[in-house]
Formats: sequence, C-alpha cells, structure tokens
Amino acid sequence: MSPALSAALALLVAVATNPPAPGETVVRPGESLAQLAARTLGSEGAGPELLAFNHLDGVPSAGTQVQVPGPERARAVAAIGSARSAIGQAPAGSARTEAEARLAEAESLLARARYAEAAAQADGAWKLLSDAREERSHFAVAVEPDGRTRVAVREGVPVRVEAQGRTRAVRAGETLTVVRGEPPGTPQLDAPGSTTTAEPPILISPEPGLKLALEPAPGGLGPVRFAWKPVPDAVGYVLELAGPRKQSLRSAQPLVTVPGLPAGKYRWTVRAVLPDGSFGPSATRAVQLVPGRIKLEVKETPWQ
Amino acid sequence: MALCLSLFVCAPACRRDAQAPPAPPAPKQSARATLVQVKGAVSVKRATGDEWLGAVNGTVLYDDDKLRTERGGSAELHFPSGTVVVVSEDTLLGIAETRAAPGRPQADVTVLRGAVDATLDRPANQSLTVGTPAATVRAGREIVFQ
Repeated sequence: MSPALSAALALLVAVATNPPAPGETVVRPGESLAQLAARTLGSEGAGPELLAFNHLDGVPSAGTQVQVPGPERARAVAAIGSARSAIGQAPAGSARTEAEARLAEAESLLARARYAEAAAQADGAWKLLSDAREERSHFAVAVEPDGRTRVAVREGVPVRVEAQGRTRAVRAGETLTVVRGEPPGTPQLDAPGSTTTAEPPILISPEPGLKLALEPAPGGLGPVRFAWKPVPDAVGYVLELAGPRKQSLRSAQPLVTVPGLPAGKYRWTVRAVLPDGSFGPSATRAVQLVPGRIKLEVKETPWQ
Repeated sequence: MALCLSLFVCAPACRRDAQAPPAPPAPKQSARATLVQVKGAVSVKRATGDEWLGAVNGTVLYDDDKLRTERGGSAELHFPSGTVVVVSEDTLLGIAETRAAPGRPQADVTVLRGAVDATLDRPANQSLTVGTPAATVRAGREIVFQ
C-alpha cells in the first residue's frame, strides 16, 4: 500500500470513528454542501442548517472557514430523538397529535439552527405524552344562542376542535370559540379565577332585522348607534361588526356610535369584558343599512 | 301431494291475513347512556317517538334519542365506557349514532343548545365526540368512524 493511500485511509478511519468536534472547519476543494454537512453534522440533509448556523446565504466556496455547532445541537437532536420515540409508542389521540405538531416545529427550528428552542419544543412533546398517560380529561362545551361554540379545557390532555376542515388542539386552561361556518381560531389562555357565569348582553338598538335608512356620512352611511343593556360586573364591552366592513370596537359604556358604515347587511355582536379580562357570552343581531335620502341635482334649463 | 304442499306453504300467509297487522319490528337498539342525578325538568324524546317524556334516574338512552333540560334542570349521562357528561340547564342534545372500532369504548353526543361538562377518567382508553352546530370536539383516543 502506498504511503499516500495509507494516509488517506487513516484520515477516513479517523473521520469515521471520531464525530466532528465542535468548533471550526474549512470547506474542502470540490466539496458540496451536502458533503460538508455530512462531514460536520453527520447528515447530508443538514446543509441548510449549517448555512443558517453560519448566517450564510449561499454555498460556501472552498477554503471558507465555517463554524460547526457544539453541544447545544447534540442536546436538541437527543430531545428530538426522545420525542420521536415517545410518539412512536403513544396511542393515537389528541396528545399524540399535539406532540407530533410540536415535534414538527422542533425539527423546523433545528433546521434553522435554533437549537435551544428546538430542544424545548421536543421536550414539550415528550412531556405532553408522558403527562397524558394517566391524566383524566375534563372539558366543557357550550353552544351560545348565536350558534357559537365555546370549548374550555379544565384539565388533562388537549381536546381537538374541528370545523370547516381545520383542527385545533385546545390545552388545559385554554378556551376556544368557534363561529358557525368558520374554522377554529387560536385558543385563548383562561385568566386565573375566570368565571363564565356572566349573562350575554341584552341588545337594544338597532332593532332585530331592521332596515335602517341613514344619510350619507364619512365612511358610508351614518351615524349608526349600537346600544345594549349593561352587564353586571362588566368593565367594558367589545362590539364586533361583520358585513361590508369588519370591525372590532371597544367601549367602556354599553353604547357605540359609528360615524359611518358602507351600506349593506351587518351582524353585530356584543360581549362583555369581565374584571379578570376574560369575555362573557355574546349576543348577536342583524341589521341592514340603506341610503335614507337620494340626493338630486337639478341642472338649470332654459325651460320656463 | 302438490295440493298438500301448496296448502302448507299458504297456511302462514292465510293466518296473517286473518289477524291484525303486526307491529313493525323493533329497531335494533343499543344502550348508549344512563341518566343519573336528574334534577328539575328533564325530558327525553325517543328516536322512534314524537313525545317528550319525563326522565328519571336510571332512564336509558339509545341511539338518536334526544334529551332536554329546562331552566333549573340538569342531569348526568353515564356512558358504559365510564365517560360522564353533565348536562346543564336549558340544554338540548342528542345521542349520536356512531360505531367505534372493537375494544374502543366511545361516546357521542350532539349539543344543539346549552352546555355540557365532560370527564374522561381514562382518556387513553376512552373517547368522546361532542358535535355542535359550529364544530366537532373530540377527546380521548382517536376515533375510527365506519
């Protein structure tokens, strides 16, 4: 065996038996990004991660010195491995679905070289499954008069809420409200000691199903006055308009006057803001805004 | 011989014609839940009936039955899997007809109005689906619909 071949073999053996040490390395002539990633991180697919770690936009040329991640990456990879293993053994269910989502996020963070966050996400996925093994599930479902569904998870594993083909996991301590015909939004964290005993606001005006004739005003037709009876203990109110203009307005009083709105059909929803910051149940009505006066411009004519 | 045979075959039909029409065969029903802790005005409408009948402790609910609580009324639904659903006042719900995979206890209700509070003691082995006009809420094990 020639000395050169022996040296090359020795180098290969050394590379194969010793994992890449943290620190720096130099890109070899003719070495592709996949080869560089395989050499430094042990995976051909980790090229983008290496670029992200070095804040590089393109493939580094030969001779470029690149940084190689250290123990923080090893911790993230180990955490991801544990989470993957736990998911593989977990029964199908909400906890597993949620853990899979967290694992996917952890892998995405790893690919962006955000190792601490990746490890935290992966640990969260693992913990979710270990906690879910014997924990009971307790949740409440309420259908409000306007058809909205409110799901509040008191304790235990997350529940899955599906609407319009989209699924959301709601964890313990969270509440999710789903509007009929719309996909679920983002679960809200319950305020400590929050109560859901508040009554929905009693709406006063505009009257239900009213066709309201209004004069032209800035923004459309107006003014439009929305009023409802005060809710005990409310510290404020939220008025949501759905129609030609979607708008959410806050008010300390049980009254909101909007200077002008585009003509059309609207649904207006009011809910109270409770002392703990949570929202009370809502009440909804429909109203139609139409022009109340037609402005005529008459040109002067020679006719007498 | 042929005459005897035809008489033998005809006999049951002739007897049926002579008697009152039999009641329609009872639909195959499986008990889905039992009512306990019934308080106040709580009524049940059977899938096969049109009347709302007062419910008492121990009333068994079957597929497609409906349960209604009035103001001040409440009840608990106990499913064979151990799942407990507390039905609040002013609530209207139905027992959904679904089939679980063998060995996977499952409970399903559809809430049309009002509120329910559900508890699964062993969510790894139980499942509950709560349907509403706006969403479907699933808890416990993954559910396989057939």
